[in-house]
Amino acid sequence: MTADIDNLKSVRGAARPSLIGAARRLTSGRAAPLLVLIALCVLITIANPSFIEPRNLIRIANSSAVPLTLAMGLTFIILLGSIDLSVEGSLSIAAMVVVLLATNDANSNHFGWFAVVAAIAASTAMGFASGLVQTMLRIPSFMATLGVWFIGLGISVYMLGGSAVRLMDPSIRDLALARFLGLPLGVWVALGAFGLACTIQYYTRLGRHIVAVGGAEDLAELSGVNVRRVRILAFGLAGFFFGIAGVLAAAQLGRSDAVIADGRLFAAVTAVVVGGTALTGGEGGVINTLIGVLIVTVLGNGMILLGVSPYVQQTVQGLMIIAAVALSLDRQRLQIVK
Amino acid sequence: MADRSNARFGAMNRRSFLGTVAAGVGVAALPKMSFAADKPTLVTSIRSLSNPYHAVWKSGAEAFAKSVGIDHVTLVSEGNSEKGIADIKAMLAKTGGNMVLNSDPNDTPDARPIVEACAKAGAYVVTQWNKPKDLHPQDFNPYYVCHIEFDGVASGKQIAEILFKSIGGSGGIIALGGQISNTAAIERKKGLEEALAANPDIKLLDFQVANWKSSEAYDLTANLLTRFGDQVKGVWAANDDMGTGALEALRAEGLAGKVPVVGVDGIKAAVDAVRNGEFAATVTSDPFWQGGMGLSIALQALQKKFDPATQPPDHREFYGKAVLIDKDNVQAYYKNNIESQPVVDWNDIWGRVTGPIRT
Repeated sequence: MTADIDNLKSVRGAARPSLIGAARRLTSGRAAPLLVLIALCVLITIANPSFIEPRNLIRIANSSAVPLTLAMGLTFIILLGSIDLSVEGSLSIAAMVVVLLATNDANSNHFGWFAVVAAIAASTAMGFASGLVQTMLRIPSFMATLGVWFIGLGISVYMLGGSAVRLMDPSIRDLALARFLGLPLGVWVALGAFGLACTIQYYTRLGRHIVAVGGAEDLAELSGVNVRRVRILAFGLAGFFFGIAGVLAAAQLGRSDAVIADGRLFAAVTAVVVGGTALTGGEGGVINTLIGVLIVTVLGNGMILLGVSPYVQQTVQGLMIIAAVALSLDRQRLQIVK
Repeated sequence: MADRSNARFGAMNRRSFLGTVAAGVGVAALPKMSFAADKPTLVTSIRSLSNPYHAVWKSGAEAFAKSVGIDHVTLVSEGNSEKGIADIKAMLAKTGGNMVLNSDPNDTPDARPIVEACAKAGAYVVTQWNKPKDLHPQDFNPYYVCHIEFDGVASGKQIAEILFKSIGGSGGIIALGGQISNTAAIERKKGLEEALAANPDIKLLDFQVANWKSSEAYDLTANLLTRFGDQVKGVWAANDDMGTGALEALRAEGLAGKVPVVGVDGIKAAVDAVRNGEFAATVTSDPFWQGGMGLSIALQALQKKFDPATQPPDHREFYGKAVLIDKDNVQAYYKNNIESQPVVDWNDIWGRVTGPIRT
């Protein structure tokens, strides 16, 4: 069976010699996102050498910190073949909790790092809630997390009273302002999150179960994987990463309002998909996502360096997404495209 | 089984039908009668409560309602035009038209159905910011009392000039604009361009769009610092959210306070930054005033304290006076507006008229 499909594939591939086909043969699919990233870096450097300056690379790392942490969480969900739309709700909950419990200009709390723990816990709880709603009430992840998104946003609006509250705890602000070995602390936190995500994906049973469930849920279940448990844990894990991202976002901007997370959902999904993780689940992983996040951030940085007019930037981003997905997905293996 | 029980549930003889209709008519008439003899209701219709601007708007409306001792209701459209209009119609039905409405229509075309519904029901209405060009208060005397806007060109120009002065009249600046197709964003950018034309020594290094958002402004500013480095002497932002985002990006580079920022809206973080010398200025339409004064003007019309039909044209469609906050007045502004609730003379209804709206 497998051999037949492979044969069919090679015949089809040979029968349609296209530019994309050629490019993919060159890049052998899996490494495509990395090559896209390298090509982007080289092209931008040629056009504007200040791209490669350490100062700029640090800025890129800093801009990537929040999207990377978010996308780590989202990767597990997309690997499962589900989607988590609660990114913005969970992030705004975490950012709201951290500013309201740490030193701020709206109340007299001074809980310091306890606020950070509480924020991540709150967001993790939201993730577990998504997972429970989905598995216990049998609601598809799209709707369940859409609901959790609005609940989270609603709670933040209510708690913040519609205003922007400033974060004034200097030790938390140091996540954005202080540096270790030249990199802002927030970048180290994001790298830590990346390391944790790698460990979970490659060295734990949960990680392997997530990939198995995403690849073929019925097979996984027949093989004895407790699918419900895997789903609930994966959503909780995602909430944990969204919580870290929320704390980082609040630390970077020095404040939080209910709309602090606006637009983060699509940025995160884009990064995950551009990195080569399939929306159908079971394929890709956190390393792909790291590259995806860097592609999106470098592209944004590069367009500014090249002086691309804001009127066409979005179009370029759209083209880039299609190109990256076209190069990285082995679409011949997709039997149905929907 | 199910069919039969449904049929029985739906069945109705003539007597019970007439009884139901009578009860319905009675309920429908009830609020009209009870409200009609009573005081009018004050109604505020705004987009959301999740942004600081409209939150302050609402507190202004409540402060005014308290000062006159009349009930106040806030309707929130959540960015949904149909909901905004439907809620207003429901309020008109409930109050029998005995109400005044101060509306920030969600979108430009919404103003017409809102005004028409109010005029038909006999309610007095003031609109702010958004209305179609061919919709005029004079056409709906006396119910469409007036329309208020703030001149985005003037605000954009005013903050630009202050920014130029604070960097010594020469050097490069970067600018962050709002959503490309948004009227306020276009007007404020035009104001910046006018100021640039008058100051040839100032160079606009780049104009980028941060979609009114703090987080986008943060990343853009960092990228622009790479491209232009030390050439960046100042940052012009079309609103304070973007301005504060840019300020945090500057702070991460140790440039906060060295590279001045200007913005529009007068949000608290920006006022604080003006006090710290990190912002050169911000300018605000004063949503507290907008929220209270819109109701005050409409209420005075309803109480026949003046006749809208006999007012001059620049009382019917006008630009309000924006309030500039810079280092000279920030301490006083902070004391009067942030530490305590602002005191506004709600009877001075035409005090902030600066002139007719450009067409």
